[in-house]
Amino acid sequence: MITLGLRTLFAKEVRRFLRVPGQTLLSPLVTTTLYLAVFGWSLGGRLRDVDGIPYAHFIVPGLVALGVVSNSYLNTASSLFVMKIQGTIVDLLVAPLSYGEILAGFLGAAALRGLLVGGLTWVAGGLAGGFDLAHPIFTLAVLLLVALVFAALGLMTAIWATSFEQVNFFPTFIITPLTFLGGVFYSAHMVPSVLRRFTLANPVFYMVDAVRFGILGRAEAHPVSGLAVLAVLAALTVGGAWALLRSGYKLRG
Amino acid sequence: MNDVVVSVRGLVKRYGEVEALGGVDLDVRRGEIFGLLGPNGAGKTTLIGIVAGMVRATAGSVTVLGKDVVRDYRETRRAVGLVPQEINFDPFFTVEESLHIQAGYFGVRLSEERLTEILSALDLAAKRTAMTRSLSGGMKRRLLIGKALVHEPKVLFLDEPTAGVDVELRQALWRYVRTLRDRGTTVVLTTHYIEEAEELADRIGLIDKGRLLLVEDKAALVARHQGMRLQDIYVSLVSRREPAGGAA
Repeated sequence: MITLGLRTLFAKEVRRFLRVPGQTLLSPLVTTTLYLAVFGWSLGGRLRDVDGIPYAHFIVPGLVALGVVSNSYLNTASSLFVMKIQGTIVDLLVAPLSYGEILAGFLGAAALRGLLVGGLTWVAGGLAGGFDLAHPIFTLAVLLLVALVFAALGLMTAIWATSFEQVNFFPTFIITPLTFLGGVFYSAHMVPSVLRRFTLANPVFYMVDAVRFGILGRAEAHPVSGLAVLAVLAALTVGGAWALLRSGYKLRG
Repeated sequence: MNDVVVSVRGLVKRYGEVEALGGVDLDVRRGEIFGLLGPNGAGKTTLIGIVAGMVRATAGSVTVLGKDVVRDYRETRRAVGLVPQEINFDPFFTVEESLHIQAGYFGVRLSEERLTEILSALDLAAKRTAMTRSLSGGMKRRLLIGKALVHEPKVLFLDEPTAGVDVELRQALWRYVRTLRDRGTTVVLTTHYIEEAEELADRIGLIDKGRLLLVEDKAALVARHQGMRLQDIYVSLVSRREPAGGAA
């Protein structure tokens, strides 16, 4: 049941990121547009195509996934961590909200921000090279699962972290390397065997590949494998975040 | 028993090796101002944190209006309002928005009438649309009280509400606490200012090192100690638990 408490937390979290759109929506769009300009339109002319797909089109799904990953993570991580630092977490802890409501409020708003950035990235890519969207429902389902996975990771990080450095550790040392080495800018068939093996063992590759199937209609792995990886990761991360909230770890003394 | 709104039994809280509460028993009666008096680190904030749901007890039980604060947390939290000791504010929102959000967390739609009443009572009407970051320290503290009152709690916990505030604001807050009590709200006030407990409380509990030393009507307490001031009674009781030369 969607209670007033859940709606309030969701709306508050959405308003929070909409109050600073330059930081939360436009900044990632600028970064993505630069990737498109450099890798897609400049270097892309030399790479021509990947498996018959123009390179400027090939990288768009990966950049969409990258936007969703980064922004869904950052929304929960920064919001909850700042609440802890400012002391406003008290407002939530004394309220009669269930753990499920708190989780749904944070994850819902983070997923919305991730999907907005992903959507804007897709529009930017489309304006430059033409719009592709082979399987809209599949794409939306995959991106929603990606957003939930990383929003839940952001929430867990914020609960655990005691400094901004710890909040930034995960995106800097884990998310960014896995994303860049997860086939955003290349096909697994294009790279040396060592990197290919790493890529195929990287769960982010299956997320990017599933988004690529949804947008371009072409994938290296079977699209169902991407969806399956995502469903398992979403269950693990959302379940983990719920369990951490319920345990009271670093929140309820 | 119907007069008891908060019942604490055998409450223990340990942080690793440190015992913050060592088996506290306490009843707070309906409609009173209960002053929980003790030095810094005595366990006051931990005790009210457990009642309000911010802190988990190691052992013991707490009920609010007969409901267990762990098992029936939704009911008990709706009955409790907490004004925390530390000032906090969300810089993204206005005074009005902050009050609406806090009411929403409690499942309450804040009516215009109730909003106006809270803002007027706390002298924040002129700051209704101001961003919270622009408020003075005193205004932020009053906003915290407003947030604790949006859902019309039966029991209001004020954790060191006048710590670091000027004399004028302290007097205004005391007047407002009495008004709330007169309207039927039970108030539990933690303080280490003896004059605050002396001025406001109907009953007083003295707590030190996680143990409740006494609970008594203020007037009876002072009378029993042959007209001594509360400050002297307090120093006398706390110093019995200190080694020679220890500060209260």
